Amino acid sequence: MSHSAKAPALRMGIPIPNSKLGMWLFLGTEIMFFTAFIGSYIVLRLGSNGWPTRYEDTHINVLLGGVNTFVLIVSSYCVVVAHEAMAQKNFTRARRFLSVTLLLAVLFLGIKGLEYKGKIDNDILPGRIPETSSQAVSKVADQLQELVRERFAVYTNEPGALIKVDRPEDILAIAPLVQALPDTERPADLTNAEFAGYTSSAKADYALYEKWDNLQKHIVANVSLSWPALPLEYMEKRATLKDGEKPPELTLDEVKVYLTDMKKSGPQAALVSARVFDPHPIVYGNIFASSYFIMTGFHAIHVIVGMILFAAVLKQGSSLNEKWTDFVENSGLYWHFVDLVWIFLFPMLYII
Amino acid sequence: MSHDTHSGHHVNYLMIFFVLCGCTALSVLFDVLSFSKPVTMVLVLAVACAKALCVMMFFMHLKFEGNWKYVLLAPTTILAIGLPIALFPDIGSSYYINAAPQVGVWADEVAEYEKHHAESANAEQHGEAAGEVENPTETVTSEEK
Repeated sequence: MSHSAKAPALRMGIPIPNSKLGMWLFLGTEIMFFTAFIGSYIVLRLGSNGWPTRYEDTHINVLLGGVNTFVLIVSSYCVVVAHEAMAQKNFTRARRFLSVTLLLAVLFLGIKGLEYKGKIDNDILPGRIPETSSQAVSKVADQLQELVRERFAVYTNEPGALIKVDRPEDILAIAPLVQALPDTERPADLTNAEFAGYTSSAKADYALYEKWDNLQKHIVANVSLSWPALPLEYMEKRATLKDGEKPPELTLDEVKVYLTDMKKSGPQAALVSARVFDPHPIVYGNIFASSYFIMTGFHAIHVIVGMILFAAVLKQGSSLNEKWTDFVENSGLYWHFVDLVWIFLFPMLYII
Repeated sequence: MSHDTHSGHHVNYLMIFFVLCGCTALSVLFDVLSFSKPVTMVLVLAVACAKALCVMMFFMHLKFEGNWKYVLLAPTTILAIGLPIALFPDIGSSYYINAAPQVGVWADEVAEYEKHHAESANAEQHGEAAGEVENPTETVTSEEK
């Protein structure tokens, strides 16, 4: 065991730059991060008795997903060419390809935003999707209530409220006041035309309230819309039933007809059409929406981080030099990983 | 220095790019052709794996890296595969009732669930042949009640 003074230095560690080793270790944690979501999604989906896959239920557009896949593949290609150009010290070419990558990332997020908008517009959001008929009926009532609340706020909003109330959220207490509004005296600060506008809208809003109130009462009593829901009339009609007969229950189909009528001809028909969704139970819709948003959302955050990395390189402008080669390689590795995740998300969310 | 490890290898990136595009088109085609669900699932996931391999081997240069890639990636891959396997018995094979996550009136939801289960239990009973063997544990529980 004799060591000469001139013994060659030991080569320790892995023959790659520390930054690259760091990036690969980080990507190792990223694999586990995304597998947590993707694995849970697979397990949840396999464990469910059903899963929403029709376009009307999910608003998932295979074409948009396919275009986004293509966009990411092109961007991955651009990154790899940019890294090659950096290695060949052709920095202008590297910058050109990185700029294209950045633009493609923006395009990807734009298309993703379009998809998100479709889901938000149709209320395909976690916790907001009715899964059973009774939930679908309740959702119609909830949305109508929201609309009534919003319309009543027109009269109770300070300053210069036409109806002064202590608790503007109590629509049950405000309703009679809105009903009586056309018969009240015109406030001095309003012109005749302005006041006439309020009185006519008050009539329509009260009628809307009555429609909501009627539905709400039927939901509470769980009785068909063909039956009265007011306590006295309900009890009278119930007394006429024979032994063993039960009042007919409220069904989703009648509520659908009720809502369609409101959308066709009721007061505020346009408003109801725009704001109240046709009842549409989607079994396992909420767990689908949760999985979709958590996976695509975290992926989108990764895209944004990638954009920041490329922007940092592009910020160097014409002074970009070989010191940035490792940085470009590492951001490239990260970007390919982002592409890799999408390669699995696309078939799992859009196709299967 | 970073490109020492693969400087000797020339990859035709454009060809890899076209392979990836072709695979994407293939996935969409499998969707359009509407095979049965399991067939589509196997086909598109196979295509996804092929694409992932292309990206990892050529774009991420793993084909040309030293053996450190196994040391670094094997543990995380094993853990990543282990997670769904660990979750499967609890969630994948027995799952919640779809009425549970969004409860309006709890009693209504339970009633609806029980009604549904009574229907499916009846259907099962009718479907099964007569002379069914009674479950001894169940008998004990009902006697105890």
